Amino acid sequence: MGRSYLGEFEELVLLAVAVLDGNAYGVAIADELKQRTDRAINLSGIHVALYRLEEKGLVVSELGGATAERGGRRKRLFSITPLGSKTLNDMRDVRNQLWDAIPRPSFL
Amino acid sequence: MDRNNLSPAPPAWADRLFGWICPPELHEELQGDLHEQFAADTRAFGPARARRLYVRQVLTFYRPYFLKRRTASSQTYPALNDPFPPVNQPSFLRIDMLRNYLKIALRTLWKSKGYTAINVSGLAVAFCVCTFLFMTVYRQLTFDSFHANGDRIFQTYFFSGSPQSSARSGIMPLPLGPALKTSFPELEGVTRVRIGTKSLVSYNDKYFDKHIALTDPDFLRIFSFPLVKGNRQQALQNLSGIVISESMARTIFGEQDPMGKQLRLGQLTEQKNYMVTGVMADLPDNSSIHCDALIRVESTDNYRQDMKNWDGNSYSVYLKTPATLDQATLESRLRSFTNTQFARTIADLKKEGAKPDERGDLFAIRLQKLKNVHFDRDITAGKGAPVALVYALSGLAVFILLIACINFINLTIARSFTRARELGVRKSLGALRHQLFIQIWGEALVVCLSGFLLGTGLAYSLISSFNAFFDARIDLSYLQKPGFIGLMAVIFLVVSLLAGGYPAWRMTTLRAVDVLKGKISFRRPGILRNSLIITQFTISCLLICCTVVAIQQIDFLRERPLGFSREQVISIPVGTRTNGRMMLQRFRDHFAQDPAIVSITGSSVNLGRGKDRVTSRSMTGMAYKGKNITTDWLLVDYDYLKTLNIKLLSGREFDPTYATDSVNRVIISESMAKEMGVKNPVGLFFGSDTSGTRSQIIGMVADFHLYAPTGKIAPVTMHLSHREPISYLFVRVNTPNPTAAMTKLQAYWQTVAPQAEFMASFLDENVDAWFQNEQTMSRLFSIASGIAIFLSCLGLFAVALLAIEQRTKEIGVRKVMGASAASIVVLLSRDFVKLVVIALAIALPLAWFGMQQWLNNYPYRVSISIGAFILVAAGAILVAIGTVSYQTIKAALMNPVKSLKTE
Repeated sequence: MGRSYLGEFEELVLLAVAVLDGNAYGVAIADELKQRTDRAINLSGIHVALYRLEEKGLVVSELGGATAERGGRRKRLFSITPLGSKTLNDMRDVRNQLWDAIPRPSFL
Repeated sequence: MDRNNLSPAPPAWADRLFGWICPPELHEELQGDLHEQFAADTRAFGPARARRLYVRQVLTFYRPYFLKRRTASSQTYPALNDPFPPVNQPSFLRIDMLRNYLKIALRTLWKSKGYTAINVSGLAVAFCVCTFLFMTVYRQLTFDSFHANGDRIFQTYFFSGSPQSSARSGIMPLPLGPALKTSFPELEGVTRVRIGTKSLVSYNDKYFDKHIALTDPDFLRIFSFPLVKGNRQQALQNLSGIVISESMARTIFGEQDPMGKQLRLGQLTEQKNYMVTGVMADLPDNSSIHCDALIRVESTDNYRQDMKNWDGNSYSVYLKTPATLDQATLESRLRSFTNTQFARTIADLKKEGAKPDERGDLFAIRLQKLKNVHFDRDITAGKGAPVALVYALSGLAVFILLIACINFINLTIARSFTRARELGVRKSLGALRHQLFIQIWGEALVVCLSGFLLGTGLAYSLISSFNAFFDARIDLSYLQKPGFIGLMAVIFLVVSLLAGGYPAWRMTTLRAVDVLKGKISFRRPGILRNSLIITQFTISCLLICCTVVAIQQIDFLRERPLGFSREQVISIPVGTRTNGRMMLQRFRDHFAQDPAIVSITGSSVNLGRGKDRVTSRSMTGMAYKGKNITTDWLLVDYDYLKTLNIKLLSGREFDPTYATDSVNRVIISESMAKEMGVKNPVGLFFGSDTSGTRSQIIGMVADFHLYAPTGKIAPVTMHLSHREPISYLFVRVNTPNPTAAMTKLQAYWQTVAPQAEFMASFLDENVDAWFQNEQTMSRLFSIASGIAIFLSCLGLFAVALLAIEQRTKEIGVRKVMGASAASIVVLLSRDFVKLVVIALAIALPLAWFGMQQWLNNYPYRVSISIGAFILVAAGAILVAIGTVSYQTIKAALMNPVKSLKTE
């Protein structure tokens, strides 16, 4: 496999970045995942995953969007790279193929 | 000012905590995210929960990823324009640096294996001793500390002023408990407790000796001894209920359920049935109250006749106050109660000319906090521990630790010149002072930690021998108590800061330029080193002197004439399984013709401490011509004086031919006569205030020590009665082989009373057992002072080695110039002997003064002998010379060519 390995959590985070489309940063991603997966999410975990994804070149980031709640600090906004989109698509293809390969007893 | 003050903010300390772990280039965005999350949480859950969540979030950032990223120099993002930069300085926690420190530390430690070994073993011994001593202290200090609301539990005691001295006593009359309960309904509970000698318990023809406490139902309400089975409120409601301990349940019933089973208590002829209504967990070892079972006071035979008797004191009374009532208020309320209830006692005291104490009381019932009871020897009648014991043990532990620390400091500083160059190089390469400090201190920490682990490991493995040797009762469960762990952690921290931190601080203050130029002089640490050595030897000599004096005092007490003869007398505790009076009669009949057995008698009180380990005391107040005299009330049998060789001064001994001797006839001791103020008491009558009867004195004997001679000889009144039980037999033998006589007695005992154990011992052994506490203490001190001097010598040895190493060249030159080996030895030893002499000059007067104070506690005491002190001084000097001699002689014999040709 030429592609770098992606853990389950990393995959979720990457998907969330794609979903949030340009407005993805730590807290937003955490909220998104909390709502959708109903599991306890740590900010630190999200960030570690984001930085790893960035090191692998699957996301890029820029700073911006300071608010009063953040004490005037800027967010690091992540967006998915073409490589990231391709990785997600690849993974989805692999999964679909695997799903299709599950032998199905015929009911009819 | 405005919004910022009103809107809740996350805790600042958590932000700081975050700043430490967060890689600086990520600080802005992460901190921002955290704060945003906090704001959201505040809206969702409120500020308190949000803060908790915030802290939890921050803590999750402490994960390897961020630590690695912080310490790694790689930066994914270029330095940011952070308007809130965290304090950013080169961290000493960089992994490469740590690795280097560790490597250097191991190398230096390995290079100087000898010193490391001395340091580690010295610290290990000290820590081991400390663990033991602090465990003992911990046990003492936690006595009775496990009760819920223990600060509201009190024991009552009588205070009575008298013309000579005021007295306190925790033994109260039987009716006091119920009287307090009715007069002070606000109290949460009042209970009487009496735990006498062991009583016989039988179940299905099996017999057991157990400590049974007579008490009230409130016992289980006041004290929080957990009940394993049964209902706390109900267990003692029934007069024939008995609550037994878990271990007693196990020995008697095995695996069966004890609840509802019938037990029989008491002597064979007068047994009573009790039903098990509760099982309590075994009372903790550090409880002042110790018994195997609880029964109701009211269920005893004499209760009806004693329940109105305010004159006989034999119960402890405990009470629990409501939270709203403090001790002083209750004590002042007790005053009017006492004034009416004890009007007669107060009037008597007034007549005697007693003066009120500073609180204006002649006679009062006062309260002692339960947690202080253990240290109140007046109230516990000597059963508790003296507070001084705790101080002495802690002091001992601290001294020994101090000595080990001094060794450590001395060695580290003395060796610092070998490290000076390394430190100089590090400094010139830009190491900061605190980095160097952490490095050196870290090395010390490694040594301390190994010493600590080794020491506690040693203590762990030696604990049973310690307990056996010192008759101590510490156990390993203390190692898991948070209090004890905290104590040891604090000690470890203090030691490592003191022993490691000080030398580290000193070394970091050196100036790099001087060090590298080689200009640095190690003259100045000499003063410190010397004063530390002096401190060590002062402590050691102090301990040795105290030990010597203490041993002399104990020997003195042991050799003292006791007023009775301890040779050729056998004492036999009768125990609970047979009848003493019957045994006495049988023994008398059986051995009447035996030439080896001179006489046999019986008594209620053992002399010395026998194999049954029981001490009992019965005292009574006598009124004579308006004077109240407290005296031991001793039951004896015929031939008591003859068997024990007590000298009869006037009058006669009890005689079977006078029938009336068994009723209201007494023999008193000389000091009793003195208390009464009569020269020739024989024939006089006086009254005992308990029974109201009047007794006639038929004889007077010389004073003798009925109890340990650590206290003053007390007046004794002997009486003879055929009704009271005899608990001890005394047999005077007259044979060159007393052991054979003992065997003969044993053989006969086993034929007459096979069910009872034969626990006889020779009286001189019993008397020795009186000094068991003192003996244990002196043994403890001997070992401690031995360890102290050993550690001091260990340090001296190492310091001498280093000092001589530095003077190698000087010695070479001296030898070349013609100095003899002997003169060099003298030269080198002189410095060290000087230090020991100074230490002695400090220690000896201190020891003399201190021991004089200690000896003042004893009515009979030795005078401190100058000779012993001189001996200690000579010994210390010799030991010091011996310690350094190996080094000095080696240095003096060295070929000067060798020492001069280097460099």
